[in-house]
Amino acid sequence: MPGAVVLVHGGAGKIPKANNDVDNQARLYGVKSAATAAYEALLAGASAVDAAETAVRCLEDFPVFNAGVGSRLNLAGEVEMDAAIMDGRGLRAGAVGAVKNVKNPVSLARKIMDLTPHVLLVGEGASQFAQESGVQLVPMQELITEKSRRALAQVKSLPFGIDPKAEEEEEEHGTVGAAVMDTAGNLATSISTGGISGKHVGRVGDSPIIGGGIYCDNMVGAAVATGQGESIIRTCLANNIIQLMSTGMAPQQAGDSALETMRQRVSGLAGVIVLDRHGNSGICCNTGHMSWAQLKDNELSWGLSADDRNTEEISL
Amino acid sequence: MPTEPVIIVHGGAVSGVHTYGSSEARVLGVQAAALAGWEKLKETGCALDAVEVAVCSLEDNPTFDAGTGSVLNQAGEIEMDAIIMDGKNLDTGAIACVQNIKNPVKLARKVMENTHHCLLVGKGANLFAEKVGISTVPLEELVTEISRQKLELCNGSYEDRCKHAFKASNVKKCVKHSDGEHDTVGAVAIDVHGNMAAATSTGGITAKMVGRVGDSPVIGAGCYCDNVSGGVSCTGHGESIMKVTLASRITMYIEEGLSAQEAAEKALDYMFNKTEGAGGVIAVSKTGEVGVHFTTGFMSWAFVKSGKLHYGWIPGENHTRAVE
Repeated sequence: MPGAVVLVHGGAGKIPKANNDVDNQARLYGVKSAATAAYEALLAGASAVDAAETAVRCLEDFPVFNAGVGSRLNLAGEVEMDAAIMDGRGLRAGAVGAVKNVKNPVSLARKIMDLTPHVLLVGEGASQFAQESGVQLVPMQELITEKSRRALAQVKSLPFGIDPKAEEEEEEHGTVGAAVMDTAGNLATSISTGGISGKHVGRVGDSPIIGGGIYCDNMVGAAVATGQGESIIRTCLANNIIQLMSTGMAPQQAGDSALETMRQRVSGLAGVIVLDRHGNSGICCNTGHMSWAQLKDNELSWGLSADDRNTEEISL
Repeated sequence: MPTEPVIIVHGGAVSGVHTYGSSEARVLGVQAAALAGWEKLKETGCALDAVEVAVCSLEDNPTFDAGTGSVLNQAGEIEMDAIIMDGKNLDTGAIACVQNIKNPVKLARKVMENTHHCLLVGKGANLFAEKVGISTVPLEELVTEISRQKLELCNGSYEDRCKHAFKASNVKKCVKHSDGEHDTVGAVAIDVHGNMAAATSTGGITAKMVGRVGDSPVIGAGCYCDNVSGGVSCTGHGESIMKVTLASRITMYIEEGLSAQEAAEKALDYMFNKTEGAGGVIAVSKTGEVGVHFTTGFMSWAFVKSGKLHYGWIPGENHTRAVE
């Protein structure tokens, strides 16, 4: 029986310029903290779903990431967030699209999965359920950062407006996510995002699309994506990775192959973290940059790109 | 060499003996939609135009749970979902939980053609409708007496209603519980240039939570279309369809070498085994083969190919007549 594994990412984007070092240190700190918190939970007996939620809650609370606090703004200057969680047992899933004022959208997605007969709630209906379910609500201002405001101003200054491919062209760093295996061998995935700066009001990306930005099946594996949302959706990226793994392909190869297929079909770029049902992992990205961290067998690995692999032993 | 054009539509997979509307109305409705799509295929030679016209026909027909005739959510309102997909380059437009729009599939097409996005929801989708000049209609124009009755007679939990509405081939058991059934609509076409398109539209399931989105507007779930494999539109228990990404599962099976019919059957079996959910699908492969399968009691469907109109409602049924 494979042991606990936690794999998280803080979003894919272009190779950052030197003056982004402070932000990159913050991203690394964030993904390491999230992975550690989730791993500790697993060792204490938490389920994969609990740990996947814990990891992404942690990332949502760090303002450096584009999820929860620090979410990018839509064209109207508001925060509208998407999130999802999927349990590899029985394909249970919960997702939320374009929800406002929720501090941790991944926890709302969990409530949808656990407390409703539905998979996806959006907009005002989602906000209504958020109030009923008891997740923490906050004034929108608490989620907005100076960085998000600047990113919106920059998009508005472009002559032709928003280009969704911009996510991997500039400093835009997208969605956060986690893929987890617990000590019983169960898999779970989670994902959360504020979306693209300057997106149309009500725009939903790949994150809450089961089979697009996220998928998880105990019988095969788990995949969570970040990057150009529309490209991810149109090519069913997470689904493709799971299908490739079901034919016996290793997670790294499955992720790389699916990303290349997406690039060829629709010219989109993305990053993805992958786990198979044996706990083997894949860290894949063709945008140049993706902060990530993994905890497995008391070994912490991390990097700022798919090729950047650093390791240290830790004791927990 | 030009491809032989095909258009197929469905009017929803339903449980057992229906007490709302007639099977005749459903069959006439899908026939009219398929023929309208066929005329469009002949006129413009464009699969995308054909599926839009076919789905609009079904949305305007109060018999079906899409556009006019949409079922009501928990709050007694109508929230509609729709999607359209172009198999040529995977361009997609979808909307979810939009209100007071007569033809949601038209709005979905505008999302595809006028934005860089794939999916707009809720108030944002309605704002976009204003921006692109799609007018709203009063709720009363979309609500039917039958939709109201379905909501009023809804007792028991949503899960119970779904179990009865979508229990696979559970005709006898469903006689007493025929509320909650719904008739999502959809269409798939291949045109003379070999380009494919697919579309799905729905009002959802009676008494769904406000803001609930099912499979219909979700790419890969309620709809998928890719010139390299085929096009699919689905209907049935939305949450189950989403969990197994039913539409893209079917195109994947086709790519692996199964016929459209084999792929449809295998995918619905898979869905039942994994989730116990039931539904129906229509599929067209890139070579123009047609697949129709449903694991519920009934599904209205019709397609036009080689000068013939095919249609059915009961499992195994396949009537044909010539088309001019």
